[in-house]
Amino acid sequence: MTPGQYYLKETRREFLKYTGTGIGALGLASALNNNLYASSSADPMALLKPHFLPKAKNVIYIHLVGGPSHLELFDHKPELIKRDGQKCPDHMFKGKQLAFIRDHPTLLGTRFKYNKYGQGGLELSEHLPLMGKIADHLAVVKTVRTEQFNHAPAQLFLHTGFERFGRPGIGSWISYGLGSENRDLPSYVVLITGSVAGAGNSLWGSGFLPTLHQGVEFRSQGDPVLFLSNPKGISARNRRDIISGINFLNETALADVGDPEIATRIAQYELAYRMQASVPELMSINSETSSTLEAYGAKPGNKSFANNCLLARRLVERGVRFVQLFDQGWDHHSGLFDSIPKKANQLDRPVAALIADLRERGLLDETLIVIGAEFGRTPMLQGLSNNRAANNVGRDHHKEAYSMVFAGGGIRGGMSYGETDELGYQAVESPVHVHDINATILHQLGLNHERLTYKYQGRKFRLTDVHGEVVNGILT
Amino acid sequence: MGFLPCYWVVGSDSPASHWAYVSPERPKFPRLNDVNPIDHFITERLNKSGMRLSRLADPEKQLRRVYLDLIGRPPQPDESQSFLSSPTDLEYNSIVDRLLASPQYGEKWARRWLDLARYADSNGFQADQLRDSWAYRDWVIEAFNSGMPLDKFTVEQLAGDLLPKSTVSQKIATGFHRTPTCNVEAGVHPESNRINQVIDRVNTTGTVFLGTTFECAQCHDHKYDPISMKEYYQLFAFFNNTPLEVRNTSGVTWDFYGPKLDLPLSPLKLGKMNSLKDEMKACELEKKSIKRSLGVEQKEWENEILDELKNAPKWEVFDVGEFSATGGSSYTVKQDQSVLVHGENPDSSTYSIIIKDSNLDRISSVRLEALLDVSMKKNGPGRNFGVPENPNFVLNEFSLKVDGRKVIFSDAKASFSQKKFDVLGAIDNDVKSGWAVNPQFGKAHQAVFTLKQDLLLEKGSRLEFKLVQHHGGGRTIGRLRLSGIEGDYSKVNLPTEIQSILLMDNRNDAQVNELAGYYASMHPRLKELESRLADLKKKLDDIDPETTLIMSEMNKPRETKVMMRGDYLTLGDKVSPGTPAALHVFDDSLPKNRLGLAQWLVDPENPLTSRVFVNRWWSAFMGRGIVETQEDFGSQGEIPSHPELLDWLAIELVQKGWSMKHIHKLIVTSHTYRQSSIITKSHLKKDPANRLYARAPRVRMSAEMIRDSALATSGLLETKMFGPPVYPPQPEGIWRHVGRNAPKFLPAENENRFRRAVYVVWRRGAPYASFVNFDAPDRGACVVDRPRTNTPLQALTLLNDQAFVEMGLAFAARILQEPGLVNDEQRIQFAFRVALARSAKQVEVDYLKVLLIKRKNELIKSPKAIDALLSEAKWVPFKTSNPEGIAKWFTVANILLNLDEAITKG
Repeated sequence: MTPGQYYLKETRREFLKYTGTGIGALGLASALNNNLYASSSADPMALLKPHFLPKAKNVIYIHLVGGPSHLELFDHKPELIKRDGQKCPDHMFKGKQLAFIRDHPTLLGTRFKYNKYGQGGLELSEHLPLMGKIADHLAVVKTVRTEQFNHAPAQLFLHTGFERFGRPGIGSWISYGLGSENRDLPSYVVLITGSVAGAGNSLWGSGFLPTLHQGVEFRSQGDPVLFLSNPKGISARNRRDIISGINFLNETALADVGDPEIATRIAQYELAYRMQASVPELMSINSETSSTLEAYGAKPGNKSFANNCLLARRLVERGVRFVQLFDQGWDHHSGLFDSIPKKANQLDRPVAALIADLRERGLLDETLIVIGAEFGRTPMLQGLSNNRAANNVGRDHHKEAYSMVFAGGGIRGGMSYGETDELGYQAVESPVHVHDINATILHQLGLNHERLTYKYQGRKFRLTDVHGEVVNGILT
Repeated sequence: MGFLPCYWVVGSDSPASHWAYVSPERPKFPRLNDVNPIDHFITERLNKSGMRLSRLADPEKQLRRVYLDLIGRPPQPDESQSFLSSPTDLEYNSIVDRLLASPQYGEKWARRWLDLARYADSNGFQADQLRDSWAYRDWVIEAFNSGMPLDKFTVEQLAGDLLPKSTVSQKIATGFHRTPTCNVEAGVHPESNRINQVIDRVNTTGTVFLGTTFECAQCHDHKYDPISMKEYYQLFAFFNNTPLEVRNTSGVTWDFYGPKLDLPLSPLKLGKMNSLKDEMKACELEKKSIKRSLGVEQKEWENEILDELKNAPKWEVFDVGEFSATGGSSYTVKQDQSVLVHGENPDSSTYSIIIKDSNLDRISSVRLEALLDVSMKKNGPGRNFGVPENPNFVLNEFSLKVDGRKVIFSDAKASFSQKKFDVLGAIDNDVKSGWAVNPQFGKAHQAVFTLKQDLLLEKGSRLEFKLVQHHGGGRTIGRLRLSGIEGDYSKVNLPTEIQSILLMDNRNDAQVNELAGYYASMHPRLKELESRLADLKKKLDDIDPETTLIMSEMNKPRETKVMMRGDYLTLGDKVSPGTPAALHVFDDSLPKNRLGLAQWLVDPENPLTSRVFVNRWWSAFMGRGIVETQEDFGSQGEIPSHPELLDWLAIELVQKGWSMKHIHKLIVTSHTYRQSSIITKSHLKKDPANRLYARAPRVRMSAEMIRDSALATSGLLETKMFGPPVYPPQPEGIWRHVGRNAPKFLPAENENRFRRAVYVVWRRGAPYASFVNFDAPDRGACVVDRPRTNTPLQALTLLNDQAFVEMGLAFAARILQEPGLVNDEQRIQFAFRVALARSAKQVEVDYLKVLLIKRKNELIKSPKAIDALLSEAKWVPFKTSNPEGIAKWFTVANILLNLDEAITKG
């Protein structure tokens, strides 16, 4: 033990003794104490106790960016098909705010068939046959309502409970509330296919929470984590020497000035070094069996949603608490009936494989899977009403009611929840607000959304503001 | 919408008597000779707890600390000499004066203000396009440098436009409130955008100038602070009179817009502009003189060409036998035998034209004309509905069958072909390629297809032309005509109209003009002049004045009503501008507009503004505010740790002409500031969080200070000030937003690569990657204080980010180039002085010397690593005369730039 190492140990002990901020006393407890820099020395990522016994430990949250049509995928509306081409009733248009539609639109029935799947007889689109096979694990909530009808504000609203910038997203809240299960990876990881969603990196930013809780994007191009690989001409051995050098000099400084923050920094350099090996290993799916790869439709080296689903499993296996997948390309203002089969096909296999795979590995019970979007689509046609060619018609943004899918961690499968009216416009039974969705996700992790607060600018903030009720109907 | 009420905290005082709403009074204290009042207040409080100030920090530490705090980078060896050799108060004070006068002072302090002002270079939201507002950023730097009094600083930013005879600079200052985000995704409702921006202005004004959160009162009367919902909308009314900041471009599409100010041109630009204008004038003159002599030349040409025309082969227009178009369009055959296609405009269409009897009995070439017609946008020549302002067509395949036999073309020439859409694409049997004419719209075009072999026609031969046009978007020809010719058409290759005018005996005025115009357009020198003029005009346009966003009041104010539950669609009672009753009085003499509000804020009676300012500065220097909740002085905030000190400083600020530099100097010359930061066991026992300042704080530097310090250490720092944002290197693929017109990130390959952080482009949806890792916010909203975290991602950034690798390489080169160093020990000492402003201890020197030997041996074994490492410097102006040396010393450079000490102010 070098003198520095000895001092490091001593200082940490002293510090913890006198500040009373031992491991585990932070996070929730520090909601009362906004003192970030003092707490950062005492491990704010330490594992924390939830409010009550959780049903799930991890979340895989799939955001279908753009807002897929619930009417083509999850919410079967025969009456809408029957009235295809008729002018929509006044209450669906007059006095309503719509993003694109300006003239009184006509109704648009789906041109896809629905099938009943599993013992629960859950109805799903013909384009989701493999998800149909695991339908008894799925709960489809058909009556989700949001308050925003433009992409970026609606995306912010879905994840942060607020339509403008500055608030933390649900992943950050969970990281803040529960700490990290693992010491070598971030607690909150983001995977993206396609371009970044409209609201940008702020969707996984930590808002006013400490930035430790922000999502870290694992990229499928370039370094999987920014700045992970050494510059050319610096080998792993050189890197080890350099980090040892940094830490030796930092230990010397620690012995001189006694600041426990230096001890933390030494530990972070060691962790960075470990991440240089552990992250590429994690991101390489070469070690997966060919049957697993095939089940997901994943291919080593691909940038695909299928690969990301497989990576999501690898992440939760390693104790990453919150994995968020963003998949671009669901904003079907036109070409609806051409695009939905293609996108549904990209979604169907990997999601079905992910759920089956988690189950086989005994991880499904402790992993909550959420498939959602910022909003749904109008039952009304967007486009010229006299040109109803499949490649022409589309649907506008719709905030009144849309569907989200849940599976795993404490979710009752094989069911749908809530009913929309016969045209799929708004809820007529069991309406669910985006705040309720967020309250439910927190609930499954053992967090009471009314108690998970952070004091900032003289107010205690919550993810669900003053709203939110747990959707008990989909829970076991 | 609704807001979470804050819970009553036991022991908090009632709003009316809350300390922060009572004007400060200057606390009395015994005047002691040469004692900085700050030290008096701090010592008094420490004594009560049985503690005292630490001794002064080592001179080298003091020097580094004050450099970092005042100008944001460590001192360089030549700057530290004088103080280290004679560390007196006098010398220290003169260094402080020098730093306060340095232009780098404003660059350092602007960063904090820009966080408050949520200044960024982009709109936020979908696509997140860039906006020009950097002149405001420069205004802040300049204001701090020039020592602008803070009251003036406040008034100009909030209402510079409303000051009598306001100057350009005062208008630029109002960029402060043109920074809110703006969503321009298609389908957005502009009024909701505008309301959000006004709300942002009200809330930010409260936080920045009053340390008060108004936000709660948006939906209900504030539960704990004395602001009612009505009062919230009275504040709202002050800001409710600026125009809409989006503009409808087409349909549901909006662009970011709003009041802008043309910035004055720089002398360099002015000079450039004048020389361009001069050249344009000369070109115009020459054009005129050529045109004057053109008449005579044209007559000669006409005679010559007429001669040729008489003997040359002539185009014979085919009479249309049958016409059909797929996709359901209608058509009309005009008298000139052109076919006008109209009616339905399908996505794609194939035309077929059948010619039954031609006057020709031999054909060498055929000609397709795409003619103009009023039925098309800009008269055509395409029907394109996809992008109506570009009436283009794409002819994917052009073919001819004669009596069922396919004719082979050997060549095709067009009057004009669009880039990547050459006319040859229409005869290459590849249906993907084709002929198109963007951007030459409003102009007839023609293509001549030459047959491989002349075609002999018999009486009754049937010619069948087929025009495949399936690019999509209705990009089809609107009016077409076909002709044939025997012999070499290129002999007299004139447009049909010109040819017919030439052959006329009597021409009307229009025809005379058309002919003259045609001749002029063929004149080689005129052609040259035209293209030069176009070029000059483009260059001139490019030096249009740059612009910046400003506030501007509409002539007719909007009516403001209370918004129920904060919803702009549910309005309540009408309100007029006013300030909360619990605060000081809004004087009757003040105008009831933004200017009046700004003047009310800097009224010496205001109990908050001066306290809020000094508290934020104190926090910047001492690691925490006297009121720890810097953003909340309300009843839910923390009470001040040193209330008398806070009030003394607040009054001192106002009495000394609102001088920021005066307060800064008071703080940095205090013993409290200059003391040692070493943490003793007694400190940890009695005051672990250092609330009482028995030691100086150790604080990790901001992302910007880390960049600037590393740049200074490396010797790469470019001190050029001001101007549009700069793009230092960052990994590819960070900017990949969804949405139209999303900008691209192209790293600078000039000195801009190494400019200070305050100039780095700030895109809200994806801020500069290394800044994000060091806790920089997205600037989507006002940020008072950044968190300070300590993460492995920070380690990876400093170790591997290309920007820091380049700095490491340059630092290595700098160590090697420093004259007078004879051995590694001296070089290591030099490196420590540069990076950490101190000398190295023996144990540090010994460790690094061993490491250097190890590295040297490795490089001998794998020499390829040298070039590989040096290739990481994509654009670094260092001399590479000693690549082995740089590769070796990079190890030391990389280590020093990564030390906790290098990124900590201690």
